[in-house]
Amino acid sequence: METEISEQLGDLALRQAKELVQLLEAGQHDEAQALLEQMRSERDINLFSEIGKLTRQLHEALISFQLDSKIGSFAAHDIPDARERLNYVIKMTEQAANRTMDGLERCMPQVTQLTAKAGELHRQMEKLMRKEMQPGEFRTLCNDLVAHFEGTEKQLSDVQHTLNDVMLAQDYQDLTGQVIRRVISLVQEVEGSLVELVKMFGSMTGMSEEAVEPTKTITVGVEGPVIDKTRQDAVHGQDDVDALLSSLGF
Amino acid sequence: MAYDKSMKILIVDDFSTMRRIIKNLLRDLGLTNTQEADDGATALPMLQNGNFDFLITDWNMPGMQGIDLLKTVRADPNLNTLPVLMVTAEAKREQIVEAAQCGVNGYIVKPFTAQILEEKISKIFERIG
Repeated sequence: METEISEQLGDLALRQAKELVQLLEAGQHDEAQALLEQMRSERDINLFSEIGKLTRQLHEALISFQLDSKIGSFAAHDIPDARERLNYVIKMTEQAANRTMDGLERCMPQVTQLTAKAGELHRQMEKLMRKEMQPGEFRTLCNDLVAHFEGTEKQLSDVQHTLNDVMLAQDYQDLTGQVIRRVISLVQEVEGSLVELVKMFGSMTGMSEEAVEPTKTITVGVEGPVIDKTRQDAVHGQDDVDALLSSLGF
Repeated sequence: MAYDKSMKILIVDDFSTMRRIIKNLLRDLGLTNTQEADDGATALPMLQNGNFDFLITDWNMPGMQGIDLLKTVRADPNLNTLPVLMVTAEAKREQIVEAAQCGVNGYIVKPFTAQILEEKISKIFERIG
């Protein structure tokens, strides 16, 4: 585009120069003078358009400085704040997981013990029903039953208490959900600013197409859970893993 | 059951909650002889000195990663027959292929269930016999 224009301008200048020589050779000095005036005014017009271009670039640069200050505030405040928030999420989820696991580890042996005791008493009761029990054994069974019910009441109330605690430990979902949502909106803002920035500088250097069409980048090396279910380079669940491994002869 | 319930197992994961989950699931399977390490670098000397029968490891850990631990184990003449089960969130096909090529005995992607863990452990020890 620009080279076309400058070629046109070059042609014009050459034509005008030839015309000027012809006029001078023919001794038409007034006409030559007029042509010279015309050429100078044309140069002025070009100069003005150049100044116009520079002014526009300056204007864009000034806008970009405003954008820079927005990015500055991301870097100085918002990103460290987001980091702190995400650390809070890690802390909360870890606490919840540990609190849940504490509860489970308290409950499991109690449940195992109750199951074993219930099984034992059940077998004793069957023996009684089959009338195979001695009077002495029967007395022991009665005492055992009373002790078992007393114990069961206490243990089950413990288990209930623990289950309540496990339930309460799930409140992290609400709290961390809110925090994560805020961080997502920050990421969106940062993304918006970056796109604007790339578009602006892109319009000067011809990179704008890259800014408009983001490409999906695939992380090299370890990357943790794959969230995008459409990704072809990753498996989605144990069945996929098993199929892949069996295709390798596992 | 193809495996010995008294076998000594090392659980390697950088998250203590995940180690705890695996430990609890193993206990449900009657496997109570377990120890823990939080990355490959900590696990390696334990493996070299501890007479472990089975290694369960994560992939993505600070320090030494699970895949490097696997490679080191396979290259060590005293450890190269140790059964290794990978339990990891890493789900890229190329990673699973890499683990298989490095001689992993089983691969579980997180999140997983108690049933999958039991199934894979049984399968590993059935195959080894």
